[in-house]
Amino acid sequence: MENKDLRQILAILAKEIKILTRDRQALALLFAMPAFFILVMSYALEGVFEGGSSSRPVEVAVINLDRGGLSREVISDLKGLEGIVLAEALDGVPMTQERAEELVRQGQYSLALSIPEGFSEKILSLSQDPAGRVAVTFIYDPATNIRLLSGIRGTLQGAILRRTLLATAPARFKKALASEMGPFAAFAGPDSKNMERQIDELLAKANKGGENEPEVKFLSRSPRGHASGRFPSATEQNVPAYTIFGVFFIVLTLASSFIQEKKEGTFQRILSAPLSQATLLIGKLLPYYLVNLIQIVLMFAVGVVFFRLKVGDPAALMIVSLSLVLAANGLGLLVASLARTEAQVNGYSVFLAIILSALGGMLVPAYIMPPFMKTLSLFTPHAWALAGYQDVIVRGLGAGEVLPEAGVLLFFAGIFFTFAWWKFRFR
Amino acid sequence: MSMTEPILRVEALRKRYDSAEAVGGISFEVLPGEFFGLLGPNGAGKTTTIGMLTGWIEPSGGQIEIRGMNLASRFREAKKMIGLVPQSFAFYSSLTAWENLSFFGRLYGLRGKALEDRSAFVLEIVSLADRADQAAGTFSNGMKRRLNIAIGLLHEPALLILDEPTVGIDAQSRIAILESLKKLNSEGMTVLYTTHYIEEAQDLCDRVAIMDRGKIIALDTPRALIQAQGKGIIRMEFHGTPDESLLGRIRTYGAVIWVDPPRRRIHLETDRTDLVLRELLDLKESRGALLQNLDVTEPDLETVFIHLTGRDLRD
Repeated sequence: MENKDLRQILAILAKEIKILTRDRQALALLFAMPAFFILVMSYALEGVFEGGSSSRPVEVAVINLDRGGLSREVISDLKGLEGIVLAEALDGVPMTQERAEELVRQGQYSLALSIPEGFSEKILSLSQDPAGRVAVTFIYDPATNIRLLSGIRGTLQGAILRRTLLATAPARFKKALASEMGPFAAFAGPDSKNMERQIDELLAKANKGGENEPEVKFLSRSPRGHASGRFPSATEQNVPAYTIFGVFFIVLTLASSFIQEKKEGTFQRILSAPLSQATLLIGKLLPYYLVNLIQIVLMFAVGVVFFRLKVGDPAALMIVSLSLVLAANGLGLLVASLARTEAQVNGYSVFLAIILSALGGMLVPAYIMPPFMKTLSLFTPHAWALAGYQDVIVRGLGAGEVLPEAGVLLFFAGIFFTFAWWKFRFR
Repeated sequence: MSMTEPILRVEALRKRYDSAEAVGGISFEVLPGEFFGLLGPNGAGKTTTIGMLTGWIEPSGGQIEIRGMNLASRFREAKKMIGLVPQSFAFYSSLTAWENLSFFGRLYGLRGKALEDRSAFVLEIVSLADRADQAAGTFSNGMKRRLNIAIGLLHEPALLILDEPTVGIDAQSRIAILESLKKLNSEGMTVLYTTHYIEEAQDLCDRVAIMDRGKIIALDTPRALIQAQGKGIIRMEFHGTPDESLLGRIRTYGAVIWVDPPRRRIHLETDRTDLVLRELLDLKESRGALLQNLDVTEPDLETVFIHLTGRDLRD
């Protein structure tokens, strides 16, 4: 590329920036819209994720495979907990292990509690064999906010431990007295008035020191058939998702600008000057590329300032962003090459922005989508961009590890630009 | 290069779209300092021709040379010679006149003081110097047309190509534009001018090429074309339907080129307008009030076009 070309590209770029900055409404739409989405949706979803209060109780499915009385007492205790609603049956059908797993997988319940067979009998036997401890299993929806999940799980665990300790208290006292008082132990009985207080003290002691290992242990897992892993928080989902959503709105601005140039005859005039079509296209696209990058920086800044988002490796974010913006600009040029009127540009752009965002997991996280939709999401650049960003933000991966996602985004960009170049007419 | 060597040479230029041939193998030359008109009705192929001459539309065949340089192979050098004034207001409405000039000037390599001087000079030519800092979108149509011309003149092109530069403006702006163009041409600028306004072409052009349906059907000076092909047109309107004997008599005066279905209006082409008019007035005397209206167009480029195509230029 010669100096002359560069100067022409810079002239077109400067002109485009001047025009862009004079259309304040379009700029406001481009920047304010995704920022607005991030703020509104994050606050809105935060409320959902902070469920578990009395006004917004969390439903927990219960599978009770035990036939003893202790499990019934546990369930009765849990029913009395504030902010939790237990579901032992759905539509009149008792909860089975398989059904509960399916319902959690579908997102109908955030959490299921599975009490195993022989729960009461094993606990009351006061077995001290760690291998023989009874395992109560929590099955959680990975889409559930981690903080909500820990809170609810902690409350349930506390209540279960309390009931099991209460149930085993008489036998424990007997055991303790036998070791402390020897032959007088037979004349001593537990003071029933103070017993619950003493149990609570014992429970607190057990929780602190662990000297009295409880007879029950707790396991947590995602539903069977669901991939496990760390899932993003609302902010970690929303900031990159709505940034990507906003980035693709450049399609509308960019394609409209091309249609406008065609309509007003400015392309004809520019191309009558001594410059090539490629020079014109590069000069024309560059400002939109820059606008998109500024947009991304600002959107992540909103995440950092308002939601204390930890953004991870800047180089890795840069690699994903540069590739994402190229794909978005490619799609913009493709729309510009297919649309004949401004109405068509609006139609194509809004349709693509919404549909691709929804498919790509910008509006609803892809990991909670049904398998078919999840597969379909892989055909959108959005899903790959989000995966790239979340690799960096959620999983703390570096520049080298986001290259596959960046590569797919560049592949999308390549396809968009190739089709656009093939179909593009300057008239 | 000698002065008689053409500044623009077009050879068998063609443009074919999917289903139609917009320009069908036209050839012509424009000489240095010439004011050359491309005349034709809407849809004749003038704008497509201009598009090909300025590198905006790729020809389907033929050659374009600007000062001996092939436009396809040496487009950078060749295009520098051309200044285009498109039919549309081809500038940015949100930019000021000055900003528009700065942008387009930079595309031609103008920079710094040279760009500023040229911008100020062309704004002066089109009488927009006092509007330099006004957004172009706020201009009247006449001012927009003038700015359109200023941008085309900015890089001192050897050949200024104007596509219908006076469409949709008031008479005063039109006169101002035509005066500016005459002045530029008198100072040595070669102009290729397309229009469907006959008077403009007749008044301005040294030579005209008349285009119809993608072909050049005549090319010469306006005077030569009128002398060779021009005939007067007499338009008659009758109260009732003239009988066969009257129609037969009218046919002896010249060629009947148009009759409306009830035969109440007849257009007659003749090279003896004075004589025929006298005959028709006599006829009116002798046959009462049958003849209601008479309208005469003396031979001009319009009548040349009608003679060649049987159609009106403004169709």
